Amino acid sequence: MPVKTATHNNPPPAVSQLRQLQALQKGRLRLALLLALSNTVLLIAQYSLLAWLLNQWLQASINPDFPATAPRMLLLVFIALAGCMLLRPALQYGRERLCLTASVQIRHQLRERVLHALAQPASQLAHSDSEGELASRVLDQVDALDGYLQRYVVQAQLALLVPLLLLVVITPFSGLAALLLLLTAPLVPLFMIILGKAASASSRKQLQALSRLGGRFLDLVRGMRTLQQLQATAQAQEQVAQAAEGYRQRTMAVLRLAFLSSAVLEFFAALSIALVAVYLGLGLLGILPWAKEVIPVPYAGALFILLLAPEFYAPLRQLGNDYHAKADAEAAMQELEPLLQQSGWQHPGEQPLQGSLPVCIQAHDLVVSSANGRLRLQLNSLHLPAGHSLLLQGASGAGKSSLLQVLLGALPYSGSLTINGQDFATLHLPDWLDTMDYLAQTPGFVEGSLADNLRLARPQATDVQLQQALVQVGLGELLAERGLDWPLSERGSGLSGGQLSRLALARLLLRDRPLWLLDEPTAHLDLDSRRQIHQLLQQLGRGRSLILVSHSSTDLDWVDQRLELTASTVAEVPNATV
Amino acid sequence: MPPSDIRLRQLLASRKGAWSLSLLLGWITLIAVLGLLAVSGWFITASAAAGLLVAGAYSFDFFRPAALIRLAAMTRTAGRYAERLSSHHAVLALLQDLRCRVFGRLAANPASTLQSSARQQHRLVADIDLLDRFPLSVVAPWFWASSILVLLLAFYSWLSPQLLYAALAGLVSGWLLLPLLTGQQVARLARLDADKAEERRVFLLHSLQLRVPLVIWQQWQNRQQKFAALDADYLQHQAAQTIASSRLLLWQHWALALGFLLMLWVAGPLLASGQLQLPWLVAALLAYLGFYEVVAPLTTSFIALGLSQAARDRLNQLGQTQAPASAALNPLAQAGQLAPQLSLQQLQVVHAGERRFDLELQAGDILLVTGPSGSGKSSLLETLAGHLPPLQGRCLFDGQAYDSSSAAGMIGYLPQQFDLFNLGLAQNLRLGVPAATDAELWQVLEQVALADWAKAQPLQLDTPLGEHAVAVSGGQARRIALARLLLRRQPLLLLDEPFAGLDTDSASRVLHSICQHQQDSILVLVSHDVPPGLEQFQERVQQLHFQP
Repeated sequence: MPVKTATHNNPPPAVSQLRQLQALQKGRLRLALLLALSNTVLLIAQYSLLAWLLNQWLQASINPDFPATAPRMLLLVFIALAGCMLLRPALQYGRERLCLTASVQIRHQLRERVLHALAQPASQLAHSDSEGELASRVLDQVDALDGYLQRYVVQAQLALLVPLLLLVVITPFSGLAALLLLLTAPLVPLFMIILGKAASASSRKQLQALSRLGGRFLDLVRGMRTLQQLQATAQAQEQVAQAAEGYRQRTMAVLRLAFLSSAVLEFFAALSIALVAVYLGLGLLGILPWAKEVIPVPYAGALFILLLAPEFYAPLRQLGNDYHAKADAEAAMQELEPLLQQSGWQHPGEQPLQGSLPVCIQAHDLVVSSANGRLRLQLNSLHLPAGHSLLLQGASGAGKSSLLQVLLGALPYSGSLTINGQDFATLHLPDWLDTMDYLAQTPGFVEGSLADNLRLARPQATDVQLQQALVQVGLGELLAERGLDWPLSERGSGLSGGQLSRLALARLLLRDRPLWLLDEPTAHLDLDSRRQIHQLLQQLGRGRSLILVSHSSTDLDWVDQRLELTASTVAEVPNATV
Repeated sequence: MPPSDIRLRQLLASRKGAWSLSLLLGWITLIAVLGLLAVSGWFITASAAAGLLVAGAYSFDFFRPAALIRLAAMTRTAGRYAERLSSHHAVLALLQDLRCRVFGRLAANPASTLQSSARQQHRLVADIDLLDRFPLSVVAPWFWASSILVLLLAFYSWLSPQLLYAALAGLVSGWLLLPLLTGQQVARLARLDADKAEERRVFLLHSLQLRVPLVIWQQWQNRQQKFAALDADYLQHQAAQTIASSRLLLWQHWALALGFLLMLWVAGPLLASGQLQLPWLVAALLAYLGFYEVVAPLTTSFIALGLSQAARDRLNQLGQTQAPASAALNPLAQAGQLAPQLSLQQLQVVHAGERRFDLELQAGDILLVTGPSGSGKSSLLETLAGHLPPLQGRCLFDGQAYDSSSAAGMIGYLPQQFDLFNLGLAQNLRLGVPAATDAELWQVLEQVALADWAKAQPLQLDTPLGEHAVAVSGGQARRIALARLLLRRQPLLLLDEPFAGLDTDSASRVLHSICQHQQDSILVLVSHDVPPGLEQFQERVQQLHFQP
């Protein structure tokens, strides 16, 4: 059975994956860039009008013979200036809205993709993360892309285009000023990169220190009851203060370096404005050492350049603020990459199941290997007649869960596995899944009432059916006390571990399928609850095939067959690829 | 004295010096920013005017303006760097204070129930970090914007009152009116943010926990669609905050633009009439343009405000004292030390069914509680420790009813779920007895049969125990917790399964130490079976057996 390995030689770098995401909203982001560029064009227009106006006033004040500007002209200029100043914020607003929508859409689609990938039982993810971590990744890591998508993408392009545009516009007025700005321009990103790398290395250390700090604090908070008992809360508070103090000192050392990168930018920006101003001013006085008695840049041009000079650095400064967004997004994509991969192998079968239910399961020389060639299960033979029960035991790593995964159609295998004599690999998976039910270690529940939870398994069930199921699993008292509409929520579902297990079994009862796969359904329970659930299983399992994985054997004497899987068989066989 | 609620306006009070410095530096920096632009504009215009006049250039003093420009540039750079450093210094100091304070609040609450989900704990840390945003993103920008505005208006009024009136409407709208109009709405949205995020997260978590069954039941699509709706809703909610800020910026810029245009409008006649010189006008205009940068942070300040308010509320809820009835119990008198007496009268506890307990225990008595798990032994211990109220009947110490907080210091309790902290061995042992000497620590380690193990460790008494005590085995951890209790003398010692994971020899050694330790006090032992070596103390022992 061919298995598409999950390991690549060159995993696609996070950057190119980010670009793929951006491409989803290419149109919007391009339009946003266009609006931003138009904004700059209007800025240039605005300042040239302003410079012209002030120049008129200058000439008028110096030279009494200066022809007074036509009032019409003044009015036109004024209106044009007003138009620019009022239109520019609207363009900025438009750009921000477009980038926001793009970011929202991309993130929403990304989450849909991930959840869609999880729709197959064969999803790789089931093997790695706890659900809590997975949920955090799907939510927090995707949201970490926001800063990049909303701000950085467009800003990075602007940081290149706007200075170029401004240079082109400034050069006709003063080559020297343009040269000055041009010289400082590449120095800034260079310094920022150098310092930025140093800063990000230390910021990783800082992040570690921060998580340790949070860890110390939480560690002590978790044990608050004990601390109160020992009357040691003051001591613990001292620990908290010390840890925070240490963190503060280390962080400040890091920040001193990190802020230098933006200080460099500030330095160049301020310096060049100052130099440009002084140069232009002295030029206007005609006292430049190399150009005495000459005014290289007349007033209008000089003022125009002075007005534009801060705008030359503005995109770069803004980019500096958003710099971390890119690093965060790349880190987030690396975390998300495994979630986005195709589930790899899909169960290929298409044919309907034949024969009667419950089914008879037979296996010979069944071997399951993981993607990197490690052996997960080796089973010589298995024969489970219809309606019989099987107890699977063995140390962890021996492959008990793997067998269940194979029967769920989630893992490829080699060897022979037949259902009612039909090769398992040829079966249509959704039909096969419809004949069985599955219960895992910690049975989950959803928000909603008892009834809502039960109806997940069978939406059309009537209230009477729900009640019957609850009574059958021994939750009759609970039902009498609380009723079907009693809400379950995350904090305090109020049900004990044993009761949750019974609830899960009630769901299975409602569906009443002829095959049940139970993966350590009582491992988390205390001894007495465990025995009770095992006794319950004997009752409920009558008339169906049952495959039960369990560490404990208490009260499981009624099981028809027992199979012990040993890890030693797994270890003995050398790395065999399927 | 109950710890007071956290108030946002007090956040700056704890580190006044640091905040004052950072506010001052920021203020100076912004003045330098506006100053650089204004002086440059003045300089160029004045030079142009002087240059056009015959012999005007030679009498023009360009040194001072040029120097001023350079000064402004340097101040701007250095000021910004210094301000960022001092702000972060203040923020980190605030973080330290807040953590101590929140910890103190939790410690003062006798029914502190933060052994809840990991999520709640992480929320706690995140909320404290959110509070830091208030001084940085709300107080500082408003302070700077307001004080710079005052200076700007003063400048304009000095130049010409008409200029002032022209600029006033635009400036004040941009600075105050518009933010106030929309700010409340944005803050309100931000406050709801965390709850919506939590709703979405919980839904996803439940879906993932039930993933395989949901796929089998063909309900996964359904869940997916519902999640998509929740996700869209939350993203929309967040977007609404950003949109509101963007809109505010838009209106702000329009208001400022109108002010600027008005200034230009009145400038013409002012210049013509000689009331205003052009260089000063240019300075005024450029300073005005620089003001945009000062006012921009105000648009996002409301999001920070809303988030901080929500964080504050959540943190204040945490420290809330539970039922006032529990506070009514007086602390047990010290007299109990000398001749302690514990009496159970018709005591009924949870999980022990209908059974009632009637017992009298005196100094030197040992109570052994045996029985299978789940039969209620631990609940009895919890009740004796004062953590659980009895269902019926009474439990009296020296004739007084008590709970865990009123009996603090009187009761040593080793519960089934005990806590060791991610500190060194000695630090864990010294909790509650900070003055214990090393010799005393070795003595108690000897008593719990851990002295040899500790001596064999490279760091001996400073061996780190790791998070959740991963560096030691379960049995060792339990004995370390027991040793901690043996460092002090308490009239009542309650131990839940102190011999778990011990071989017979060690178990009898530990039992011997405990019984010796408590020979003048009361000892209650819970154990699956009778511990070896108990026969020595037979005359002191009473036994309670729990049926399943």
